Amino acid sequence: MFKLDRKLIISATVSALFTASGIAGTASDTYSNGKKVIDGGVTYPVVDSKRGNYVISPQKESYMHGRLATKNELKAWNTDVMPDGTGLPKGSGSVEEGEEIYEEKCVMCHGDFGSGGGGYPSLSKGNAQEAHATLKNQRNVPNADGPVRVFGSYWPHLSTMWWYIHDGMPHPKTKSLSSDETYALTAYMLNINELTIDGEEIDDEFVLSHDNFLKIKMPNVDGFEPKIDGPNGTDNVRKYFANNKNFGAQKVNPADRCMKNCQKKSAKIVRIKGVGISDFLPPISVKRDLPESANAPVVGQAAYEASCAVCHGTSSMGAPEVGDKDAWEAVMIKGITTVYSNAMNGVGGMPPKGGNMDLEDAEIKEIVDYMYSLSR
Amino acid sequence: MSETLRSQVTRRDFFKKAVSVSAIAATAILLPKKASADEPEIMHHAKWGQKLGYPVTYNRYGLPSPYEHNNLRRNTKLLASGNFQASIAVTPIHESEGIITPNGLFFSRSHGGVAEVDPSEFRLMIHGLVEKEIVLTLDQLKRYPSVTRTHFIECPANGGQEWRGPQFNSLQFAKGFMSCAEWTGVYIKTILEDLGLKKEALWMLAEGSDNSEMGRTVPVDKVLDDAMIVWGQNGEALRPEQGYPVRLLLPGWEGNLCVKWLKRLEFAKEPWYCKEETSKYTALKPTGKAIQHFYANEVNSTVTHPSPEKPWLGLKKGEIVEIQGLAWSGMGTITGVDLSFDGGKNYVKANLKGLVLQKSWTRWSYIYKYEGKPLLLTSRAMDDAGYIQPTIDQETSIMGVESVYHRNAVETWEVTAEGMVNHVQIRS
Repeated sequence: MFKLDRKLIISATVSALFTASGIAGTASDTYSNGKKVIDGGVTYPVVDSKRGNYVISPQKESYMHGRLATKNELKAWNTDVMPDGTGLPKGSGSVEEGEEIYEEKCVMCHGDFGSGGGGYPSLSKGNAQEAHATLKNQRNVPNADGPVRVFGSYWPHLSTMWWYIHDGMPHPKTKSLSSDETYALTAYMLNINELTIDGEEIDDEFVLSHDNFLKIKMPNVDGFEPKIDGPNGTDNVRKYFANNKNFGAQKVNPADRCMKNCQKKSAKIVRIKGVGISDFLPPISVKRDLPESANAPVVGQAAYEASCAVCHGTSSMGAPEVGDKDAWEAVMIKGITTVYSNAMNGVGGMPPKGGNMDLEDAEIKEIVDYMYSLSR
Repeated sequence: MSETLRSQVTRRDFFKKAVSVSAIAATAILLPKKASADEPEIMHHAKWGQKLGYPVTYNRYGLPSPYEHNNLRRNTKLLASGNFQASIAVTPIHESEGIITPNGLFFSRSHGGVAEVDPSEFRLMIHGLVEKEIVLTLDQLKRYPSVTRTHFIECPANGGQEWRGPQFNSLQFAKGFMSCAEWTGVYIKTILEDLGLKKEALWMLAEGSDNSEMGRTVPVDKVLDDAMIVWGQNGEALRPEQGYPVRLLLPGWEGNLCVKWLKRLEFAKEPWYCKEETSKYTALKPTGKAIQHFYANEVNSTVTHPSPEKPWLGLKKGEIVEIQGLAWSGMGTITGVDLSFDGGKNYVKANLKGLVLQKSWTRWSYIYKYEGKPLLLTSRAMDDAGYIQPTIDQETSIMGVESVYHRNAVETWEVTAEGMVNHVQIRS
């Protein structure tokens, strides 16, 4: 009953707004299957052959384009790994082997022991349990320590690390590591984050394999909301976003929104500290001028425009048109020397130097080069 | 709050007058009261008018005027994970007109560089919990009936550098992690009607073919609502930066979920836990818990004119000026925008203008008589899902300051007495 009332209130509000602003469309917070919209927003059911502002075609067919995927194709592309181990291939690798590969292929970006650097992500900040304890930290006072969000302290599942290394690393040459190498690097990640298996810290001797993979429990496995696993996964999400308080959003009846005296007395202006972040590339400018490179005179351009463009600017005079690749290809087949010579001495309907005998031979060459530069 | 600010607040009646037809008409008659000296721009022939222009055959693919060379995507080192392949270049929304971003200025975000896909080698695999597991070529995909929709795409980190205070004195960087385009593609549900989605399927993995093999998990609810596979962007093929030849489009949802260079869609009953939905794109709250699967970009707005890039320099007291901005919501359609001149203490109703579309940029406007006094301009948008933009205090009271993603609190520009514009925040 409560649900129904709420829906009615919302749709009443919505239609009132639409009427006021003259917008056509019908929003609903419920899908046609009766379930609430999953993201806390609205959907637009088809009404009078329109979905929102868009007219839709009522025709429907079965199309069946494409073809069935082959087994090998499915195997080749279905390389994801899920938290329950689905997709994890057989194999193994040790911490020691992992460290060796890391030193060869990873350290230049991710730093010694995953410390990060140069903007590349840190992979470890020491003991994962200690780092995990920082997740409630808030830097809302000066010099406060923030939360440490690295693999060991933050990621909920090991499967993500294995999958990402295998498909997305090393950054400049991805999809180049074998399964065993991936196990080894994953083992090394566990080691530098001081994670545990069966209560024992993962030491240099440790070997990670498909057999013991699921025994690794990440410290932050319960650190995320809403709960998305299991048959109620999507319904949990739906419920979560139905409550705006969960995610910092504000709901309001538009008629009741604050228009006057909406602030506390303590409200104050916070300014950018110093110049803030301002190393913008390229620097911000809203000038409307020619770029520096465009201000440099282009050799041949002025003379071309003054003496040649009348005929060569279009194909109507029978002259090869500047910009017409095919026409200029046909001209250039004769070779550049012949083209220069024709331009100086005349060819077909074209008089010597296009009729402008004031032009030096060198200028004619520049003009031809300029014209050709626009025509290839 | 200063005395100056307080003195600006009860002017609603005045604004009403300023926008009335008679007030504007009177101004128009009064304005050109003095003649200036003869301008050479008029007294002499323009140099471009006395020579031939370039032939219509010159630019086979048209380019902006060279005078527009500063209208560019920009980046900063802070927003790069080590290099400019795992990075973002943001849209100059201070130069945006209307609600469509030109393809060359659409913000560009990648996790392993922009992939250069050969369309003849493109294949899309749809598999998992469907009756028929298929492979489509690009031509086969495009044989499905197409739909064309205008939607914004926004990186959920738009504004995410400013949870603890303003950092960017720039509209482009404060709000430019987004763009809006007209997309053409096919509803995924149209294809699924052919393939037969199994009942137990709750989730879809979308995976890219790029260097990072970018993947994300999408609930089937969205797939069966308005999720699209798109190949067209503003009347032409997708740009490489947007996932050429094909990307996923989840209207209103995080840009990161709209997987580019799309390669496969897999359906399953359990979610995947991809890298970009665990290590990143999760919003850590002060409770120590992080929101995962945070989908829709919430209702939001900004003032584009004036802005730090578009100050009111040269504007004289008494002149009429249009205050303009954008509003958008990934949860629905914009229903209204309010504008404050005192940083959010008091609001007046601004006006929407142009097309007002679902999950799209929407333009708003307020005609204003400039008084030559300092202002704190704050806009506040609402949508038809019933949401209104929170204040900074309201949002941080739930989300804290470490969440990085999905910040949609109101934004404030300080306009100085000289017409300069600075990014500030109002906090209690």
